[in-house]
Amino acid sequence: MDFSNFNAAEQAHMTKVIEKKQMQDFLRLYSNIVDKCFNTCCNDFTSKALSSKEETCISNCFDKFTKHTERVGARFAEANAETAAGSK
Amino acid sequence: MSFLSGRSAPTSGAVNYDKIDIAVTELDSITDFFNRMVGSCYNKCIGAKFPADGDLSKGESVCIDKCVAKYNEVQKKVGEKLQAKGAAAGGAPGGGSAFGAI
Repeated sequence: MDFSNFNAAEQAHMTKVIEKKQMQDFLRLYSNIVDKCFNTCCNDFTSKALSSKEETCISNCFDKFTKHTERVGARFAEANAETAAGSK
Repeated sequence: MSFLSGRSAPTSGAVNYDKIDIAVTELDSITDFFNRMVGSCYNKCIGAKFPADGDLSKGESVCIDKCVAKYNEVQKKVGEKLQAKGAAAGGAPGGGSAFGAI
């Protein structure tokens, strides 16, 4: 996305908009991870507390999902850079 | 996919809200696309199986790379087909949406 034809006031406005969206995106990521890891790890409801097996699972699930998101982000950025370079 | 390239030079001072609107829409679209890609590739490559550890296995990493590439390809293809359909219909957006009947 190219903001070179935006004046200073517009760029400042866009910066605020982007900051707000980043925060919303972070919150969305949070609830997404909770949902996925709960569904993957918690299938036994004979107890209220998390078992140690479930805790390990949640920890692994969190790590895996964040690494996955990072990897997808990296590939996506590469693909975008290629497309931008190709169309110039 | 960028609608912002090739426009005229920035006007000084005032904020042009139409331009901002278009930029925000485009930003939302890209964010949505990315989030869906993350979700789909997670389901296809990692799925809901019990994670053995917190790292991505080699197979999962390779799968993710290929998944992202394919997702991008699908996006391009669908975009081309939509544009072709739109051009064939004389430039008007086709029916099949809630806005077509208004």
